[in-house]
Amino acid sequence: MKKGLTLFVLVILLAGIVSACQPQAAAPQATTPPEPAAPASKLDAIKTAGKIKVGTSADYPPYESVDSAGAYVGFDIELMAAIAEGMGVQLEWVDMPFDSLIAAVQENKIDLSISCFNYSEERDQQVDFSEAYYTSEDAFVVGKDFAGTIAKPEDVVAYKVGVQSGTVQDDWLTTNLVDTGLLKAENLSRYERVDQAALDLQAGRVDVLMADYVPANALVKQFEGFNIVLKSVLSTGPLNIVLPEGDAVLKAEIDKQIAALQASGKITELAEKYFSE
Amino acid sequence: MNVAVFVKYIAQGTAYTLGVTAVALPSGLVLGTLFALLAVYGGKVLRQIMTFYSTVMRGIPPIVLLLILYFVMSGQINLSPFWAGSISLGIISSAYQMEIIRGAILSVSSGQMMAARSIGLTRMQAITNVILPQTLRNAIAPWSNEAAIIIKDSSLVYALGVPEILRRAQLIGASSQSYLLAYLTAAIIYFLLVFTSSRLLGLLEKKLEIPANP
Repeated sequence: MKKGLTLFVLVILLAGIVSACQPQAAAPQATTPPEPAAPASKLDAIKTAGKIKVGTSADYPPYESVDSAGAYVGFDIELMAAIAEGMGVQLEWVDMPFDSLIAAVQENKIDLSISCFNYSEERDQQVDFSEAYYTSEDAFVVGKDFAGTIAKPEDVVAYKVGVQSGTVQDDWLTTNLVDTGLLKAENLSRYERVDQAALDLQAGRVDVLMADYVPANALVKQFEGFNIVLKSVLSTGPLNIVLPEGDAVLKAEIDKQIAALQASGKITELAEKYFSE
Repeated sequence: MNVAVFVKYIAQGTAYTLGVTAVALPSGLVLGTLFALLAVYGGKVLRQIMTFYSTVMRGIPPIVLLLILYFVMSGQINLSPFWAGSISLGIISSAYQMEIIRGAILSVSSGQMMAARSIGLTRMQAITNVILPQTLRNAIAPWSNEAAIIIKDSSLVYALGVPEILRRAQLIGASSQSYLLAYLTAAIIYFLLVFTSSRLLGLLEKKLEIPANP
């Protein structure tokens, strides 16, 4: 269940070892040009290439998914397309499991990532965040045979809870309910993907599923008998684009594009298109 | 939903699955054979080094090596997701294939080496002309097992974003909510790949059977 998380931690630890083992100062080499004094912004490289490489985990409708022809669709997808258009560059999508995205931004495998990310302090230590482009809420979903009551978030401790691993909901449940001893660790099931959690909710292996409100609402429409019993802003809140750490120039450009799209009403238009009930 | 389009989307991932297998399996075979020879004929020190290598590599889950190679080592070597995945699977497979070949070498009677030396072949000639041909024939049956494992393990490259069969099944399953169809399609494709490769290797095994073997 915690495999993804454990692996991630292991990789981070190994990253520490490897980087600690690297020689501190390389001998000057006549053949290679010296490094530029100030770190170059990624924005220059993006503009030069005329292309921005954006990572997403396209398994989270309506934010990001693929249609049956394999094209990327969703709120984040269209929003990013508008941002790229504003920057005057081509957009190249890179699909990756959610757990791999932050590492991919850190390691320069992609330029940035938009995948329904929320700000969190742990994440902020590794990457930077853009200004918020949308604000989301949390929802608790139950199946059709659910007989209990969930009036406040803490009530879920009496049930078996499902959540997608590595999400802010997972973080909230772990910090506020599991670590405090309210929810037994064996009663929290972490899934790699939210739809796997939904299938287990349908099968009765978990009683309640905590997820972002918009995808939760999509699940309610897709699975017969699913119900949202509680909606509240707990773990989530503003959605941000994940950017490489310390690249102020790129952040300024992305923030500028987001502000322009907010001002033009484009973001509201997209939210209505994708999140309307 | 158009089922044909759906199945086609998942089946397009087969190219990546076969690509990863086509890199990992042969590179594992070459390295594995070399390591097995070193382990059997290389003397005490090399044998210990090879045993250590095999123990370590068989002890690491492929996905861990894959993530290390792609994310952690990216400062040293910048590999594409495809190559990072193929190389890590090849490295891990080399340890398994080394054990397969080592077992096959040891199964060739020691009298063969003595006989070969007594008719004047050098040790190297005896290995390449007498021992190895028999070894590789004996190894086909257990090796087909390893081939099946690599075909299925190639799905791990999805963690790096390579759009192979499993990742495609996940994506289309999420967007269409037809998980059963998506995963069933993926399972059938994997089964067909493994089934075909096993049959082909079975035919090869028959064709190359050592005539004198009982």
